[in-house]
Amino acid sequence: MPKRGFGNVLWKELGRPWRQLRDISGARSGCHEPRSLLTAAEFQEELAILGLSCRRFDPKDYADALGDYLNICINIHVIPDEWYPELSRRLAISGRLGEIRYSERLTLAAIFVPGSLPPLVLTLTILHELGHLAAGDLLVDPSEEVGGSHHQHSEEAEFATASTRKGKKLARGFPFAEEALREREANLRASYALFAGCLGNESPYAYAMYSVL
Amino acid sequence: MSAAQHQAFVLGSVSFVAFFFVICFVLSSRRTKFSDFAACNLVFVAATFYAVALLDISGERTEVFLAIMTELPVVLIVAWICLALAGGLPSHLGARPVEPVARRTWLRKVLEFTPILLLFFVILACVVGLIRPSPAMHLYAPAPPAFFALKALIMIPEGFCSALAALTFILAGRSSGLRGRLYFKNLAFAVGMLGIASIAFESTVVASFRVWASEEGRQGILEKLIALETCFTVVCILAFAAGLSLRYTPTVAGPLLHRLQMGWLHAQEQFESLEWRAVNTGAADRLTTASDAVALACRLRNLPESDTEKALATIRVVAMMKDPSSETRYITPEAARELYELQEEILRDSALSSKISWAVNLRSRAQEYQTVKSAPLHHALRAALDLIDRQDQNSRIQARPLWHWIAAVSAADAKIVDSPAPVQLEGQDGYRTAVEAYCAAKTTLQKLDTDDRERRVEYGRPQTQA
Repeated sequence: MPKRGFGNVLWKELGRPWRQLRDISGARSGCHEPRSLLTAAEFQEELAILGLSCRRFDPKDYADALGDYLNICINIHVIPDEWYPELSRRLAISGRLGEIRYSERLTLAAIFVPGSLPPLVLTLTILHELGHLAAGDLLVDPSEEVGGSHHQHSEEAEFATASTRKGKKLARGFPFAEEALREREANLRASYALFAGCLGNESPYAYAMYSVL
Repeated sequence: MSAAQHQAFVLGSVSFVAFFFVICFVLSSRRTKFSDFAACNLVFVAATFYAVALLDISGERTEVFLAIMTELPVVLIVAWICLALAGGLPSHLGARPVEPVARRTWLRKVLEFTPILLLFFVILACVVGLIRPSPAMHLYAPAPPAFFALKALIMIPEGFCSALAALTFILAGRSSGLRGRLYFKNLAFAVGMLGIASIAFESTVVASFRVWASEEGRQGILEKLIALETCFTVVCILAFAAGLSLRYTPTVAGPLLHRLQMGWLHAQEQFESLEWRAVNTGAADRLTTASDAVALACRLRNLPESDTEKALATIRVVAMMKDPSSETRYITPEAARELYELQEEILRDSALSSKISWAVNLRSRAQEYQTVKSAPLHHALRAALDLIDRQDQNSRIQARPLWHWIAAVSAADAKIVDSPAPVQLEGQDGYRTAVEAYCAAKTTLQKLDTDDRERRVEYGRPQTQA
């Protein structure tokens, strides 16, 4: 018995510095485990969860599958310039191409994009906004927001993540604390989704999910 | 040398030959993480069997230890495969779960737990075997119930894990949209894993016969069961060999796709979005009037809608490249040339270029798609670079389509680029036609504008009493 007691004490003492270090870093940044930016292979895993791996799909299919998974209704509104000419000008002045509105209470997400956008930009903008939903970026507590400019980093670099409110998300990792990184990852998700949707079962990342040995 | 030692020597030699086969034929032609692991495992198996052949296995405890050592490679193979299916291999091996596992969280958790489960039962069997030793390396000798416990503790979990892995391979093979070769590859691995599961369950039955079968009938039944086990082993090896040899190369290589994502898509998106922003914020005022005249000129010459789009895109790109504002500072002739080269690289790969497409109008039910080639920007970049690069005033300009000339006339009229010299236009009837169409369009627009202004003045005049 005394031996066991000594072992417990020793274990506790050895673990204390690590726990203190973890607590300090956690309290200062309010962050979870840091992680690197999403890779194409990880995105393919997300597509498999949505049942879109090995399939060709367009932004609407992706939105439907994501909505089903998150148990929310996602509406995409492509607003023609004739209906609301101010939208394009206001978005262009603000430096944005589209906007997403999300209501947790109503389990509803709405994406607004101007119809005057060039087709490729329109597709990527919708996929970008859907990427924010998939990553759980809209669940980040405003108190956890980290501003500041973001510089280009290597793909392997790891970044701090933020805690989120209770809600479902598709991504395995937590959203980044820094807004610029969240935007960069949403861009990555959009580009991965465009290529995955075009290539279907001919994507090398889709192939890798059926050939593990 | 006893019969058991002789058998171990033969098995060790077979494993060693198999190792050489893997090194010479499998690893040289197609190296995967699994084939590396299989090669290491075969060395381990050969070493174990040679150790059995060389050592004097007179003691029952030694027999138990060696029996477990000979089972260990198969246990390791099953654990590796289950972990690979769950995507639980170390990240430097680049592992992701197989598609059906990614969709089922429970399956992923079970498969990830498999190595711990198997290891636990191997240790438990080791403890049981050392406490209650048995003639584990004999083939037909009667054995105590502890031998059955030893075998069952290893074989039953191994059998269940193999069966689960086989089921996962079947689910992966059945996925819709899968290419035939990948279907057969997964099917082959499923058969291989079912073979391991069958051997495991059959070994448990053999152990039960050695413990409980009567003396007279035992040897006959065991001989039949061991022959059956040999059949299962052959099927298993052949299935794995088939699975490993079935190759499937995706049409699009991963590095090329990565380069396109980071290079072409990023550049094209930046080009088009900056262009859209510049137009909508009014940063390029000269564009509005020029664009209207270009569109009307194209209509007057009955050009198709796609050609009008190309002419409009050209005038936009030229205006952006010549615009000094900060909004469009990324749109430079160098950036345009780089993007054009990337587009050409995609177009050279016909298999790839035919697949990359995006919807033209997401609001419309009738889906029309745009590709790198059909997108107006591709033609516009070439035309814009052509207009910007026209430095040598003495060289003759090559023949160009009418939409190109209309854009050129419009750009010169808006003072965005210089007009081509008469020497350059020798024999270019298209340019003359474009000038006529553009002048007609401009006159019409000016007339419409004057009429519109007069009408506004008319409406704005106070009504007088009659």
